[in-house]
Amino acid sequence: MDKPGITRRDFVKMGLLTAAASALGSGVMKPVGLWAAAPKIKGPIKVGYQAVLSGTLAGYGEFHKMGAIMAMEEINAAGGIAGNKLEVEIRDSTLAAPASIQNVRYFVDSWEADLLAGVDSSGQALAVAPVVGQLDRVLMVTHAATERLTEEEVFKKGIKQVFRICTPTYQDGNAAAFVAKDLPATTWATINPKYEYGFTTWKMFQETLGKLKPGVKFVADSWAPFGTTDFRPHINTIMDAKPEGLYSVVWAGELITMIKQAKQAGLFDTIKHVLLPVGAAMDVLEGLGPDMPDNLWISGRYFFLYPDTAKNKEWVAAFKKRWNHYPAYVSETAYSTMYAFKKAIETAGSKETAPVIQALEGMELDSPAGHRVFRKEDHQAMYEVPWGLTATDPKYPFKIMGKQIVIPAKECFNRPPFEGPGTTPPFKS
Amino acid sequence: MESFVHVCLAGISAGMFIWLVASGLTLIFGVLRVLNFAHGSFYMLGAYLCYTCLRFLGIDFWLGVIVGPLAVCVVGYVMERFLLRRVYDLELPYQLLLTFSMVLIFDELVKIIWGAGSIGSPSVPGLSGSLMIAGRNFPVYNLFIMIVGPLVAVGLWAFLERSWWGKIIRAAASDREMAAAIGVKVPSLYTAVFVIGAWLSAVGGALAVPYVGLLTTGMGEAIIINAFVVVVIGGLGSLKGAFLGALFIGLLSSFGTRYIPTLDMSLTFILMGVVLLWRPQGFFAGVDR
Repeated sequence: MDKPGITRRDFVKMGLLTAAASALGSGVMKPVGLWAAAPKIKGPIKVGYQAVLSGTLAGYGEFHKMGAIMAMEEINAAGGIAGNKLEVEIRDSTLAAPASIQNVRYFVDSWEADLLAGVDSSGQALAVAPVVGQLDRVLMVTHAATERLTEEEVFKKGIKQVFRICTPTYQDGNAAAFVAKDLPATTWATINPKYEYGFTTWKMFQETLGKLKPGVKFVADSWAPFGTTDFRPHINTIMDAKPEGLYSVVWAGELITMIKQAKQAGLFDTIKHVLLPVGAAMDVLEGLGPDMPDNLWISGRYFFLYPDTAKNKEWVAAFKKRWNHYPAYVSETAYSTMYAFKKAIETAGSKETAPVIQALEGMELDSPAGHRVFRKEDHQAMYEVPWGLTATDPKYPFKIMGKQIVIPAKECFNRPPFEGPGTTPPFKS
Repeated sequence: MESFVHVCLAGISAGMFIWLVASGLTLIFGVLRVLNFAHGSFYMLGAYLCYTCLRFLGIDFWLGVIVGPLAVCVVGYVMERFLLRRVYDLELPYQLLLTFSMVLIFDELVKIIWGAGSIGSPSVPGLSGSLMIAGRNFPVYNLFIMIVGPLVAVGLWAFLERSWWGKIIRAAASDREMAAAIGVKVPSLYTAVFVIGAWLSAVGGALAVPYVGLLTTGMGEAIIINAFVVVVIGGLGSLKGAFLGALFIGLLSSFGTRYIPTLDMSLTFILMGVVLLWRPQGFFAGVDR
């Protein structure tokens, strides 16, 4: 956790002084809370958080919840945010866009949330962005990855209320291409989700790999609708095309199913280079256990064995102790979101939207996932998540990310103004 | 060519799962005249209870496939006896509301008991390998499912057409009052049919675990939509229709994904639309009632 000591203690002292002063000043009738800290901040800091808590992906929501609740407990035990209690309410986003809009409206209009966070799917993020703009509340996106959110909604349309703390599709498309360029495979195919996330990542992967390694061929694509439980027709399509490499951002339970069925069909015997940008999700690794083949390339939005820092190790241990689970990537992003809010509010001395946005822009955050910087132009958090090969480790009942390589965010994340030459990798400088 | 063979095999095995769920759905509708939304929940519970037997009782998969669905029969019994029975005479929306609310309740219960995360499936002793068919591996387990499906169909047919119980069920389905008048205990019969339907769905769920590779809350909703389509196409209440419909839907989605990928998601619904326009009662409505 960030060094809590000095600033917070000072804040508390200041808060007590302020409280005493204002109590004397304006008479006994006016209620003054014990924690009326900085003069501008009144009452609890309320964060409305939404994540998927029902359906086949409900496990993701539970992992979001663990991260958010743990941060809330820690922050409140250590004196809150600028002396104010942090309150987090978690609602089911159901993965549907209308529900995510209803949630933010409920949070702001009825529950009087000061800040918003969460959101799983790209479709939801794009639907919710204009609404939080109108409602004028900061939204920290912790899972949805579409680059259109930060490039179009934030940068081009100027919806400054939206931030993203997780890695975007650049990690899945561009960074994957950096990994692929050094592999001997020259023909690639994909089984990808049949929605925004799948289309955009495959396009990005093709464009970037095409530039990094001219002559590489993309020989087949098969698109699996949301909720696919039978990947055999897709596996047949891919095996017919006989590619040397397979790229897939199929995620969560569907990825477990796909890997098992691909293994049964002997796909990994014929296709030696497999890139799974969201394969390092804990639900996938734990769900597959020993059934996950070795030597597949995996990545995610955070992996609990990276970075090798004391902060991360302590956090993983504390998380394991609190929940009896290794943290999933959404746990880390949910957890770090609360600390990002804390830092921004304490820097701004206010929980109002405009000063918090100002504080968040360009803000650096020391988090379990490492050092993050919220890029000023598009509000995207810049930080690194490694890519690595699945490997067996006797210490864990599941496969871990073995040999890890890091593609620096500044090399693989698209750059503003997101149009024209020099905005997509590879960059000259 | 190797692909063609495998697309066929994938389609048939997928169809057999839909059949196991659709058979119970159509049986219950045919006799009880209730459209049971919660039927997919029995599929889910069958899978989870089978898994639990394996994991915590330490018995093997095959015993789990027997014990898990039997536990679901108890759930089915309670649901019919204490809840559904009260809405038989009410209008359709009440039945839908009740059974849909049961879907939500079962989903939440599963989350409370087993947790919300995906659970990887255990392996099946004896059937976990693959066979080389037409130049590509095909799981032995899927071949096994392709045998189980038709066996269940034959078994149900024999039960309904040839057994004394089957005759009573058919009698009650075609004329409830007349059956009651000649001494058939219709309420008990309804309970029995509902329990049999729940059992079929639960067996489908238990058998699906190694096939799909994992258990998730909400897995019931994923299959119930296909089962509904199958039942509509085959004719509500028709077992023969459900069997052929399931086979057809399985093959259609397998071939669709492979050869007409742009349309694969809509093919089954286009088919359902065509059937509803052209033959709204379904292909085999009333034939085997």
